[in-house]
Amino acid sequence: MGGGKNKPELIVGGKRTDGRAMDELRPIKIQVGILKNAEGSAYLEWGNNKVLAAVYGPKEAQPKHIANPDRAIIKCRYQMAPFSSLEEHSRSGPNRRAIEISKVTKEVFENVIMLDNFPGSEIDIFVEVLQSDGGTRAAGITAAAVAVASSGIPMRDIPYAVSAGKAGEEIILDLNKIEDNYSEADMPIAVAPRNNDILLLQMDGSLTSEQIRKATDMVIKAGETITKLQREALEARYS
Amino acid sequence: MKIVLPGDKISDGPVRMENTIVENGKTYATVIGMLDESKGAFVPLESVWYPRQGDFVIGIVENSKNNVQTVQFDSPFRGLILPPPRPRFGGRGRDDRFGGGPREERQEVLHIGDVVSAFVKDVKRESDQIILILERPKRLFGGKLVEVRPSKVPRIIGKASTMLKQLEDGTKCTILVGLNGIIWVNGGNVALAQKAITKIQEEAHIGGLTERISELLTSGSINRGS
Repeated sequence: MGGGKNKPELIVGGKRTDGRAMDELRPIKIQVGILKNAEGSAYLEWGNNKVLAAVYGPKEAQPKHIANPDRAIIKCRYQMAPFSSLEEHSRSGPNRRAIEISKVTKEVFENVIMLDNFPGSEIDIFVEVLQSDGGTRAAGITAAAVAVASSGIPMRDIPYAVSAGKAGEEIILDLNKIEDNYSEADMPIAVAPRNNDILLLQMDGSLTSEQIRKATDMVIKAGETITKLQREALEARYS
Repeated sequence: MKIVLPGDKISDGPVRMENTIVENGKTYATVIGMLDESKGAFVPLESVWYPRQGDFVIGIVENSKNNVQTVQFDSPFRGLILPPPRPRFGGRGRDDRFGGGPREERQEVLHIGDVVSAFVKDVKRESDQIILILERPKRLFGGKLVEVRPSKVPRIIGKASTMLKQLEDGTKCTILVGLNGIIWVNGGNVALAQKAITKIQEEAHIGGLTERISELLTSGSINRGS
């Protein structure tokens, strides 16, 4: 949502800065089970984003007082590696942005993991961004979903996430770093594909209700591709 | 057989099956698994151990207080070993003076850090977590613990414990397999047993495993001899 004088042209000759069409995803590659010590893990490349996700648990909740007697709790840590982007990410520990993304990621998984089966326990989800180029929270959720599915923790669905936004008058899908910074709106959405339940919807900037509808439709259509890639990655491990 | 992922439909009707949920009258998988549509069987490829009455488990004594031992299983559940019931007519029985009641009721002496095998007698939902009441505890001396995924345990035991027998014969080890995914290996060629168990875990879903394991066991024992 950066504006000002130096705003680059995001759409030139009907194409975006990286030559994609408006509703085109960046290339996605998913690998499952690359961390031996984790119960479930996944590595995802989404355009220039590189994300590692790991899942541990269910185990006894520590410290004891955070345990919920009715259901498991999820602890989620989203973290950008100090070397992940051109901007400063070198401060140790989670910053304000990382805490926010950890929270929303946790809430996505609270809706799909069957927490009632494991009262008093905790499930840990770690998302490490190794290289970033816009849309890392969506990439993180997509990778973590595959990691949870590969861990055998019972879940209702495998969610995915992708962002949609607005550049000029066009609704665009899967914003990269430049589009993220200079577009009029950026709206990451996480969806559980079975019933197309929306698990996360955040927005920077402004969109009309008509534009939101169009963006959501675009996300759900792109979700078919992402779900297919998640499925292929999981199946490849067992074939 | 086809691979089914969490959220995939297993049946159009409500079916009561493990690792599934019923929503709007339809059955969906909750874990990754193999579905045999002709038999209607769903075998999970990955799953989390959920205790049941009668399960054989292996754990480590974590705490011992007032004659009650808590046992850790590398899972969110905690086991309790309670002292045997007191003699029926109260007071000290004849046997009691000489170290415990009748032979079958005598409790193993357990200390913190001991490896123990037991059977789950009861699964109780306590205020803050699920507690397993254990019975017939047995202290395991020596040996090595190997951790596997609980979903692979049936494969390690095999049909009518054929795989386990093969492992024991091939490595001359005593092997106890806890359903919670902890395996105790003692005596014989422990390193080979560990290697074989890891191989079973990694290749559980690929056919012809028995042959590959027998190959590994024979080649392993030859190497050891030379």
